[in-house]
Amino acid sequence: MFYRETGQFKSSYKADQAIFPITQDRWFILFIFIIAFLVIPLTASEYLLQAVMIPLLIFSLAAIGLNLLVGYAGQLSLGTGGFMAVGAYMTYKLTTAFPEVNIIVIFILAGLISASVGFLFGIPSLRIKGFYLAVATLASQFFLVWMFNKVSWFYNHNSSGTITAPPRELFGVTVTGPTATAETRYIVALAIVCVFALIAKNLVRGRLGRSWMAVRDMDIAAEIIGIRPFQTKLIAFSISSFYCGVAGALMVFLWLGSAETEAFSINESFYVLFMIIIGGLGSILGSFLGAAFIVCVPILLTNAPQLFGLSMPIDLQKHIEIMLFGFLIVFFLIVEPHGLARLWQIAKEKLRLWPFPY
Amino acid sequence: MEIINFLNLVFLAPFVEMVSYPIFFSEVIISGLLTGVMYSLVALGFVLIFKASGVFNFAQGAMVLFAALTLVGLMEHGFPIWAALISTIIVLIVLAFVVERFMLRYLINQEDIILFMATIGLTFLIQGFGETIWGSNVKPLDLGIPSESFELGGLLLNEFDLFAAGSGAVLVAVLAIFFHYTRIGRALRAVADDHQAAMAVGIPLKNIWIIVWSVAGFVGLVAGIMWGAKSGVQFSLSLIALKALPVLILGGFTSVPGAIVGGLIIGVGEKIAEIYWGPLVGGAIENWFAYVLALAFLLFRPQGLFGERIIERV
Amino acid sequence: MNEIVAPSNKETNANESSGLHKDASFETLLEVEKISLSFGGVHALDEVTFDIRKGEIRAIIGPNGAGKSSMLNVINGFYQPQQGFIKYKGNERKKMSPQIAASQGIARTFQNIALFRGMSTLDNIMTGRNLKMRRGIFWQMIHWGPARNEEIHHREIAEHVIDFLEIEPIRKTPVGRLPYGLQKRVELGRALAAQPDLLLLDEPMAGMNVEEKEDMCRFIIDVNEEFGTTIALIEHDMGVVMDLSDRVVVLNYGKKIADGTPDFVRADQGVVDAYLGVSEK
Repeated sequence: MFYRETGQFKSSYKADQAIFPITQDRWFILFIFIIAFLVIPLTASEYLLQAVMIPLLIFSLAAIGLNLLVGYAGQLSLGTGGFMAVGAYMTYKLTTAFPEVNIIVIFILAGLISASVGFLFGIPSLRIKGFYLAVATLASQFFLVWMFNKVSWFYNHNSSGTITAPPRELFGVTVTGPTATAETRYIVALAIVCVFALIAKNLVRGRLGRSWMAVRDMDIAAEIIGIRPFQTKLIAFSISSFYCGVAGALMVFLWLGSAETEAFSINESFYVLFMIIIGGLGSILGSFLGAAFIVCVPILLTNAPQLFGLSMPIDLQKHIEIMLFGFLIVFFLIVEPHGLARLWQIAKEKLRLWPFPY
Repeated sequence: MEIINFLNLVFLAPFVEMVSYPIFFSEVIISGLLTGVMYSLVALGFVLIFKASGVFNFAQGAMVLFAALTLVGLMEHGFPIWAALISTIIVLIVLAFVVERFMLRYLINQEDIILFMATIGLTFLIQGFGETIWGSNVKPLDLGIPSESFELGGLLLNEFDLFAAGSGAVLVAVLAIFFHYTRIGRALRAVADDHQAAMAVGIPLKNIWIIVWSVAGFVGLVAGIMWGAKSGVQFSLSLIALKALPVLILGGFTSVPGAIVGGLIIGVGEKIAEIYWGPLVGGAIENWFAYVLALAFLLFRPQGLFGERIIERV
Repeated sequence: MNEIVAPSNKETNANESSGLHKDASFETLLEVEKISLSFGGVHALDEVTFDIRKGEIRAIIGPNGAGKSSMLNVINGFYQPQQGFIKYKGNERKKMSPQIAASQGIARTFQNIALFRGMSTLDNIMTGRNLKMRRGIFWQMIHWGPARNEEIHHREIAEHVIDFLEIEPIRKTPVGRLPYGLQKRVELGRALAAQPDLLLLDEPMAGMNVEEKEDMCRFIIDVNEEFGTTIALIEHDMGVVMDLSDRVVVLNYGKKIADGTPDFVRADQGVVDAYLGVSEK
């Protein structure tokens, strides 16, 4: 009843091409922004920020990156963890080598390095497709993680082999390192993620996005209307790796504080892939929803036994958690293979007609 | 000078070493071949399922672990080995039935990537289930296979490895006969070619899938026994699935001979690289070398070792 | 509307071929000279020679497997012929990529619909504008100022095409959900959006009912007459071919067996034999 677009006429293509063409949507998104930027930092507990909100934002960014590649350009990749590692280790190298440079600039530089690595590992897409390519991308995962583990130059030859976020300031406020508060780290992550999400949305609704989808849906036809598939795929690999790289950097610098190569294992790649499948392939909004799902479910599962007053050995609980997680994935794929984004769309369509569905 | 030294280390010294110590080199190759047999066994499970249902079953590694865990678990509970083997096979058939009934059936006609993701979910499910029931500590698996080493023409060989290679070969032969000469085998090949056409001539797709998943489970069990007897039954068994993937891209997803030859190539290539070039870069290159080898190969032959040439048409 | 899909007025070198029915007042847009193409041992095309004049509707007909689709694939650079060459707008070429063909104004539709199924009608048609869009990746990221104006400009052109093909109501529907006839129409729209000089249509009416065929014929004639677009089409429906086309070339087993006006071709004994078979007496 309240969610109606009746009477909202679009008189220009500009209005029709807006991200949120319906007025109610714009109000809703404004509401979300107020909550995200004002209410949460002022009221949320340290635990909520550190365990839920910050990882949610960071994984959303990684998921957007992977979604550009898998959901829009149609190139299945299992190497996300490797590219996140490039971002994290490059940020560490750069910021320890040039401590005076603004940390945001460092993040972007590290992302660019990650993009060039992604470009290199995207080259096999010239010859191979589908699952063959997916397996080939595992090469990047294993090789990159091995390299950061073995070559001590990447972690400044320290004996522990970990990279630790040094304190860095932004506008006079410490945003990274052990002294930074969860609130500031949250705000910085939120701002970065918002900007990059907007850029991603702009890319996918423009020429490049259409080229990606064309290559995804039918690469031969795309070639014949003048799109160069190889070039298009390589751009997708680069931009996707840029996003993953920045996400990896944020993961170490704004969330974990320190990390080893373990943090970027193949499981990480799978989790990000789960996020976009559950959230919805080819949807920026879905990347956020999927990240929220994958971040929140394990937390719920961990806390569920205590809610029911049950206590069980830690490792048994861990096994059951893995099992339930696997079950949820399978269940979800059976129920809604097009992801949460599709459910959201259906809900909106229902709401449009409510309360008179006929 | 530095550069010459480097080039020497990379391009000359390893080969000199190979030629100077031929016995050691042969031993490296043999040990690589034996590891390769194991990879082939795991890859075979993937190929069977991919051929018959077009599903890239990531859960094959978890099935290897689950099969081995069940076998060891039952033996720990006092089952004699034959009873444990039979019970495990029954459990695997039940697993295949459950997978078909509660998962594949609902995912027919979904995109490949969705099915692939579902099998990743299945990986977690099977792994968690197996460890919930049987625990996660390392379990030794003793089948009474001798593992003495002996010398043959100056080569040091291990009885167990030969046994493993032998049973691998027997298994492959049995599968080949099964595929080519039985009615079910023919039906399987028909399904692999075209699901709908197979259904149209009256082949029950669902039964075929259950059979294939059971056979893949059985192959997984054999692989699990071999690996488990060597290094104990533990979580890391499920990770050998990751080792079988480069074998797949090398041999082609649908080729049984490809899986076997690919496994051997990867096994040998990886061993040689690790022993002769590994020390130059700090070792532990086994994790990724197979992938790079397979990838380099693919760039020259995108259809894999035994795949058919792809002709694109509009 | 005319400036929208009008062909560029570049002068082509009026180089007349030695076609059967040449007419000195026509300019030749494309010449196909002794093209041979084979896959392994199969000869798909065997020394085929013909020309397409500017502004005409040229039909390529022949029994199944005659090499018609292969011919279109050679013209737009998807297959590379082993022998022979193609002269397009006066430039001779032996090899070319589909991208270059597209950028020089050759657009086509496919026998089996080759739309981008996950995208909306509008987006599909917009991909036809891709080659004409110039703004770099950084402008696209911002989607502001020049980038947005460019997007809007091309959207206008795409909307004209949508208007022309009368598919306004399905503008935002994913094409995978559309019925077959509409999909064919959207595919034509995607080709038209590129404002081609030469439009290749591979069986535009296959699998359609009579009404849909009539619609499609009307669109083809309109495109040809209003915008002066040169059209080469493959079609099995002889009635349609004879009504639409100015000239017809007939292929059989990769060889050209006749070339001329519809009436001339219809009377040709070789063509009748190819279609009906030669009775053994």
